[in-house]
Amino acid sequence: MAWISLIFGGLFEMVGVMMMNLVQQKRNIRSVLYLAAAFAASFSLLGFAMKTLPMGTSYAVWTGIGATGGAILGMIFYGESKSYKRMFFIFLIICATIGLRLVS
Amino acid sequence: MGKDWLKVLIAAFFEIMWVVGLKYADSMIEWSLTVIGMIGSFYLLILAGRNLPIGTVYAVFVGIGTAGTVLLDFIIFGEPFSLAKVLLIGLMLVGIIGLKLVEDAEGKAVE
Repeated sequence: MAWISLIFGGLFEMVGVMMMNLVQQKRNIRSVLYLAAAFAASFSLLGFAMKTLPMGTSYAVWTGIGATGGAILGMIFYGESKSYKRMFFIFLIICATIGLRLVS
Repeated sequence: MGKDWLKVLIAAFFEIMWVVGLKYADSMIEWSLTVIGMIGSFYLLILAGRNLPIGTVYAVFVGIGTAGTVLLDFIIFGEPFSLAKVLLIGLMLVGIIGLKLVEDAEGKAVE
């Protein structure tokens, strides 16, 4: 349960970052509310995961998922670079996440 | 330049503060500090990113935040030390920092 919560927390962080871009384009109440909701969800899920998982592991995985998710979304939807270097580092993050899941 | 990097360091300190708070806060004051940490880290990071390359800023910020929380786990909060865990978190950091630095160096856009 903690790991699922952590993964969704990381995904919501990524959504939050997307909403930050939205707020910069369209400054209206709705986009600010989406932004607040995404980060509230992200922090709540991280907090829930940390009740049982160690702080450092949780934080590292949460941040890693946020960064990876942002990069993958950028590649798929915003035509960002799919250079092999970006792919390689994303691969490292995924390996580290799986490894941490296995050792904890 | 120096002033902006100082903002990054303080932002990372706020980041560690809210992460600790999210796990251990159990009073009104501690929860308030946690929220201040969240707002402070965001705000300073955005300010610093205006004048410095954002990927590099984020890489340094995450590096300090992660190392800080892991060290506090072992030193203050009595998590048992695990070499495998430290190595895997190191691998995670190489991935995140590498990704961010590549984005600064190559740009995200396809040429």
